[in-house]
Amino acid sequence: MQWTGLPIATVLGVAGFVAVFITLLYLLRLRKRRVQVPYSALWGRVLAEKKRQTDWWRRFKRLLSWLLFMIIAALITVAALGPRSADEVVEGRHLLIMLDTSASMGATDVTGGLNRFEVARTQALELLGSVGGDDRVMVALFNNRVMPLGPFVRETQPLEAALRAATLSANATDFRQALSFARDSLRDRGQAELIVLSDGAGLQNLDLSEFDPGEAVRVRHIAPGERSENLAITGFNARRYPSNRLDHEVFVEVSSTFDRPVEARLELLSEGRIIETLPLELSANQVHRQFYPGQAFAGERLEARVRVMTADAEDVFPLDDRAYAVLPQARKLRVQVVSTGNLFLEGPLLLNTHIEVTRVNPERYDPQAEFDVTFFDNVAPTLPVSGDLVFFNPPAESSPIAIRDVDDEPILTDVASSHPLMRWINLQDLNIARTSTFRREASDTAVASAFGQAVIVDRELDGRRLIAVGFDLRESDFPLRVAFPIFILNIIDYLAQDDVDLMYAFETGRSVQIPVARDIEEARVTAPDGEVRSAAIHRGEAVFYTDQPGFYVLTPGGGEPVAVAANLASPEESRIAPSELQLGEREVSRDAAGLVFERREIWIWLVLLAMGLLLLEWLTYNRRWTE
Amino acid sequence: MAKPSRQHPDDARFDDEFLKKLDYLYIVSRKMAASGQRAKRQKKIVGSGLDFADYRVYSPGDDVKSLDWRVYSRTERLFLKLYEEEEDLHIYFLVDASRSMHLGQPNKWNYARQVAAALAYIGLSNLDRVSIIPFSSKVEGRLPPAKGKAQIFKIFNFLDACDAGEHTSLRQAFKTFVSQNKRRGLAVVISDFYDPDGIEEGLNALRYHRFEPMVIQLFDERELNLDFHGEVQIVDCETDEARDITVTPAMLKAYREVFEEFCTELEGYCKSRQILYFRAPIQQPFDELILRVFRAGGFLK
Repeated sequence: MQWTGLPIATVLGVAGFVAVFITLLYLLRLRKRRVQVPYSALWGRVLAEKKRQTDWWRRFKRLLSWLLFMIIAALITVAALGPRSADEVVEGRHLLIMLDTSASMGATDVTGGLNRFEVARTQALELLGSVGGDDRVMVALFNNRVMPLGPFVRETQPLEAALRAATLSANATDFRQALSFARDSLRDRGQAELIVLSDGAGLQNLDLSEFDPGEAVRVRHIAPGERSENLAITGFNARRYPSNRLDHEVFVEVSSTFDRPVEARLELLSEGRIIETLPLELSANQVHRQFYPGQAFAGERLEARVRVMTADAEDVFPLDDRAYAVLPQARKLRVQVVSTGNLFLEGPLLLNTHIEVTRVNPERYDPQAEFDVTFFDNVAPTLPVSGDLVFFNPPAESSPIAIRDVDDEPILTDVASSHPLMRWINLQDLNIARTSTFRREASDTAVASAFGQAVIVDRELDGRRLIAVGFDLRESDFPLRVAFPIFILNIIDYLAQDDVDLMYAFETGRSVQIPVARDIEEARVTAPDGEVRSAAIHRGEAVFYTDQPGFYVLTPGGGEPVAVAANLASPEESRIAPSELQLGEREVSRDAAGLVFERREIWIWLVLLAMGLLLLEWLTYNRRWTE
Repeated sequence: MAKPSRQHPDDARFDDEFLKKLDYLYIVSRKMAASGQRAKRQKKIVGSGLDFADYRVYSPGDDVKSLDWRVYSRTERLFLKLYEEEEDLHIYFLVDASRSMHLGQPNKWNYARQVAAALAYIGLSNLDRVSIIPFSSKVEGRLPPAKGKAQIFKIFNFLDACDAGEHTSLRQAFKTFVSQNKRRGLAVVISDFYDPDGIEEGLNALRYHRFEPMVIQLFDERELNLDFHGEVQIVDCETDEARDITVTPAMLKAYREVFEEFCTELEGYCKSRQILYFRAPIQQPFDELILRVFRAGGFLK
């Protein structure tokens, strides 16, 4: 037997006091009210008829009440000591409850709650309500990040309040991060238990054995969810054709997790208007990819919707039935070509309908004129007041980038293929009669080099970009190659930051960085639900968090609003079939059996026994069995 | 000797109202006496009476003038002739003044002295000799026999001056009484008869000494309808004997049955020995009790 309650000295002291107190009360009860009667002999006759018991029994009855009270006091005293059996573990546990708040927990395929999250939260609250007095509990929410609600604490009421205030997110699940957090939190904790309340969506084919928290930690995974029927848009993308900025191609990926064929309808909307409707017949667990080529829209908000049309089929996870995208506004660039005349250079520029080309003779060149990009062909006059700069074969005496040397028939040996200027370009076997090589500075980027000598250089100059090409186009076969117009287009896109791949669509649960003007100091973000938040400005970028699918509108202070889209875009999250957590060979319990704090609380039985004796004493006293 | 007592405000007073009641009772008693409801108390004593009563054998020392010589001539034995001689009736009111009679307010003592005063007034009116003797375990005092209605005020004063005595003992008190009073007569015992030693010896003492007992038993209805319940310690007001009891409705019922049994025993004793017996609660007006006594016919002559 071990004692886990109050200190023995305290209990004995209190018990002694209580015993004396009870005895005093008992003696006081024995002091009965005195009543004078004229002739007690009559009462003697009454008592003689009523009482047949022997003297010792009467004395015993007098003591019986006192004895019962003393037994009751003794029982309560022992109960206060908190008796437990010798083999019972009384050390407090460390319980880490990880509650999944990812999007898939919003599936409604559960009984006993609105969705999986509600069921899991109810289970978590029940667990909190059943922990023992010595247990320490930590609760952490997780989706694609982990949010602990506090440290390990004994008092669970604040945790319960925080848990009730927790909301479901629209994010994917990062089990690696969650389990890593759990492993670190439970390290070196005694009687540690990890309880993961998650549907396991995203666990499929995930090897998490490296996150095994160790043998000392008991792991449980309780997965709410009963079904897997879901129809989701797992991919939604639109890209611009490089040749025509007005033409886009839209890609939609529809995934079915129904285990039977279903009929569906896919809708494509632009600015809220349906522009395409496509009926689909999806076989069991089919992934259907749909392309919409030649869609002529720009600067518009796109939305794709899919819905189940089979009458008896139900999509239990509607969050991923919609996907969103925003196409950037195509703007017309003003380009100045300072040249005595170079059709090789002007040709690709003139082909692009989104470029307004102005050719200026070097003699008439005005540095004060404002252009987005200025091409200098074999000249290097005074730099213009604004816009980015592109130099082809700048003269050595006035080149903005110092010319190191002049090479004849150079061979381009090093090309920075990852540089935006080199996208889709191959400069192999490019023939150049003569080129200048540039003296690079530390911040310069050599886009193409001949044996270490920079031939094409990219430099940042007072917030502007400067690109210098060391050779004259007319002294190379570069203009004759297919790559040349693409190179010119790359230059324009790079300088205008008008990337054809730049799609303003993000995953929910991520921080989004949107470039803003450098003088912008504040920006506001309007979320899909209409809530307006402040966006942080950092190094020319507005940063904000996307926690729900839909369109976010960033309004920089004094600037034009910019819309971005956020999507769940997680095929793993859309596979809502409950999955079991596997930690290698490690045994993972699947239920809460034995988790509820159930100690053999002897004190409760002692108190109940005391109450029973109290009741017995009351009954016997009122029936005059005891005195 | 009886000590002066402090009267309680609730105690009945011997005032004009009380005297009016006594006069009324006297008129009623006269009517009853005229209608034949009267006692026959004739003394067979040798005296100056004219009516022959009986003979008895001559004993040396007897007055030879009362010898019946005619009978001697026939029988040659000496007989004395006895004549009836009427004398004043002595009425002794033995009033219980023990502590049990003084318990509560109003109490039995107050009632007992009213009854004693009323009956004494009737006796005085009939020219009887009335004496008041309060008693407990002993005789607590004595108002000597007196005659004439004017003596009623002495009786009032005497009863007012009486105080509570000790515990009840009829045997001891009446033993003293019979030794102090040689003149036989009517002995009206007014008491609750709460005597732990019993009542028989006391009443027998009166009977054996040729007193004619008359028993008036008083009780208080509050003694039957007790107003306490639960755990109590009852204390005898006379003996201070304590008993711990739990008063329950069943216990109260048993108590009433025992009390009834006690009264029945007393009544049975009296009836078996031709002793007039009356029982009255003190909540009953005393004049009703007096009228009952009159109707029973054992008091008026």
